[in-house]
Amino acid sequence: MNNTLKLSFQIRNTYCVNAVIYMLKGIPLIKKLLPSSLYRSRGLKRFANIISVIWEIASIFIWKLLYFLIMICGAAALYEAQAQDGLFLHILLILSVIGCMTNTSLFSPSKDKYYAIMLLKMDAKEYTLINYLYSMLKALTGFIIAMLLFGLQRDVPLWLCITVPFGIVGMKMFAVAVSLIRYEKSGYGYNDNQMSKRVWAAIGILLLAAYALPAAGVVLPMDIAAAVFIAAIPLGAAGLVKILKFNDYYALNKELLSRLTVQIDTAALIKQANEKNISADKTITSGRAGFEYLNELFIKRHKRILWDSTKKVSYICVFVIAAILFVTYMKPEIKPAVNEVIMTWLPYFTFIMYMINRGSGFTQALFMNCDHSLLTYPFYKKPESILKLFTIRFREIMKINAVPAVIIGCGLAFILFATGGTDNPLNYIILVVSIICLSLFFSIHYLTIYYLLQPYNAGTEMKSGAYNLVRMATYFACFFIMQLRVPIFIFGLLTIIFCVLYSVAACALVYRLAPKTFRLRM
Amino acid sequence: MKFVIEHLSKAFEKKKVLIDISFAFEEGKIYGLLGRNGAGKTTLFNCLNRDIKYDSGEFYIEENGTRREALSEDIGYVLSMPVVPEFLTGREFLKFFMDINGKNIKEPKSIDEYFDYMSIDEEDRDKLLKDYSHGMKNKMQMLIHIIVRPNILLLDEPLTSLDVIVAEEMKQLLRSIKKDRIIIFSTHIMDLALDLCDEIVLLSRGELEIINRADLDNAGFKDRIIEALREEGNE
Repeated sequence: MNNTLKLSFQIRNTYCVNAVIYMLKGIPLIKKLLPSSLYRSRGLKRFANIISVIWEIASIFIWKLLYFLIMICGAAALYEAQAQDGLFLHILLILSVIGCMTNTSLFSPSKDKYYAIMLLKMDAKEYTLINYLYSMLKALTGFIIAMLLFGLQRDVPLWLCITVPFGIVGMKMFAVAVSLIRYEKSGYGYNDNQMSKRVWAAIGILLLAAYALPAAGVVLPMDIAAAVFIAAIPLGAAGLVKILKFNDYYALNKELLSRLTVQIDTAALIKQANEKNISADKTITSGRAGFEYLNELFIKRHKRILWDSTKKVSYICVFVIAAILFVTYMKPEIKPAVNEVIMTWLPYFTFIMYMINRGSGFTQALFMNCDHSLLTYPFYKKPESILKLFTIRFREIMKINAVPAVIIGCGLAFILFATGGTDNPLNYIILVVSIICLSLFFSIHYLTIYYLLQPYNAGTEMKSGAYNLVRMATYFACFFIMQLRVPIFIFGLLTIIFCVLYSVAACALVYRLAPKTFRLRM
Repeated sequence: MKFVIEHLSKAFEKKKVLIDISFAFEEGKIYGLLGRNGAGKTTLFNCLNRDIKYDSGEFYIEENGTRREALSEDIGYVLSMPVVPEFLTGREFLKFFMDINGKNIKEPKSIDEYFDYMSIDEEDRDKLLKDYSHGMKNKMQMLIHIIVRPNILLLDEPLTSLDVIVAEEMKQLLRSIKKDRIIIFSTHIMDLALDLCDEIVLLSRGELEIINRADLDNAGFKDRIIEALREEGNE
């Protein structure tokens, strides 16, 4: 038994360490420092074992304490008028019922289970039960500590603080036993990650009961909550008997894990999804020749993911701008506040432009449906072909991104005007131009990193750590800029200068380097 | 024309896959490249097609006693998994290809003539390539590669997953185009190699070695090849 638990740990640590090495080896420079023999290193795995034991112990407390702090005490603090002991148990009880549906442990599809049961053929019943009981023991310990810390503080009696965790674990076991019986009768296997609409609806209602009822002054009497927790203990014991007696854990896990992404080829899945985006409309043709012909057919056959979605975003923008104008017209007193917001919130739009740009989807479709195959033909890899097509694609993605940008830019300028205007008329121009420049930036940014880092291999797997790093850095940079509050004039001017310089530099880099970098990864 | 490789080597970290590849391929012949799993056949092709960097050595084309660099248009590389741009129809792909390569195609034919040549049915010509069968995609890929008549054609296990009829059609096609060019054909299937290829070249221990058929019959030749491959396993 001890051995099973130990093996489970070792499997998880091994694949975690290997995954980290694999990820690091995808980053240029770093990959040269790391030899493949690192996978063999025992010291590294031993180190990971130590870290994971420490984490294992720490996680018993950390999650439960955070859970109590935020979900229960934090929320309870909103209703100061209510008796805190009753409110505390009210929220805890209802959230525990939700936990029985969302966090069963036995029905959560995890890589650990897949590797241990499916690949390494460990005994399914033994593996499942030992890991399940271990996770319940962890939950019990965590809850007792959290209850002693937070419950006592809210005048919940000591005996109840110790009883409640057994009640919570009892509920979980009872719920699992019910699902097991259901599985035996109907063959339906519960899955934590694929809950039915009914379960989601139940969770919604329970969340309302947990947080909205107290706002309306309704809180479960403490005696009733306590009684439910106590009643759950014998139910849990009965559930445990069922769990221990159940024999079909292999089949249960097989179904549970069937849709896990490690098991299916995610690269092939992404490829298929992209192929579905190709329009089967037979009327689509093109009168052009050469690369313009290729490009026009590509854009027309991918209208749904390119133009249709940019249109949708544009309609939403028009609607939002009209709504703001309408509200300021109806309630003129908010005009100064709106004016103030427009004057200083321009950085916020960096993030909005980031969210609405189609660059990332465009490059993915380009690779999956076009470059993936054509890059295997020599004529397509000639420097002049690569650069010609880059220029055409840059023009196309700029057009696609420019529509919502023009709408947002003009809309903002109009709102600024309607809410009292600005002392410096230049602000209007800067507003419009800077938003268009942002859209230009995102257009060229994604295309440039695609051409310079071409991250995919012939099997359509993403192989570049650097590409992911740049994308993440882009996200964080936009997120960071969003927090700034700078007047239009300064931020707009800086944005315009940056975007123009970046675009020039990016084009220069692509023209110099892309003939060498725009290749299938081997 | 000769395609000459001299002292080509390639290692992945410490694992030396190609150690010292030296060989001269001659025009008008189909070479069967045999090697065990992991011997480095695909690595060799990838190096020759400049898809990956090799560590040392060189390769070039020798014509009438003068040598010149093997350019990318000299080499056609047909992958085992056929890849075609899914969003185009067969006809559109051919048109696009001919638009771009118009100047390089000697004696161009009409698009339908090319389809006829590859035995691609009329009703399939205007279908999106994503809806083509494996064999049809393979034909399209092969067609694109042979229209421009590259001097060297590298084929990585191209017939392995085709049905017997298409495989036979492809064999005929390869035989018909081998004049004036060098075809190097990697495969695991010995009977196919013996049936189609003029020379058998073994990739073992990171080197290329020609297996001399001398006066052996098919069975005897097969035994000799297997013996040579075994030796590598016993190293």
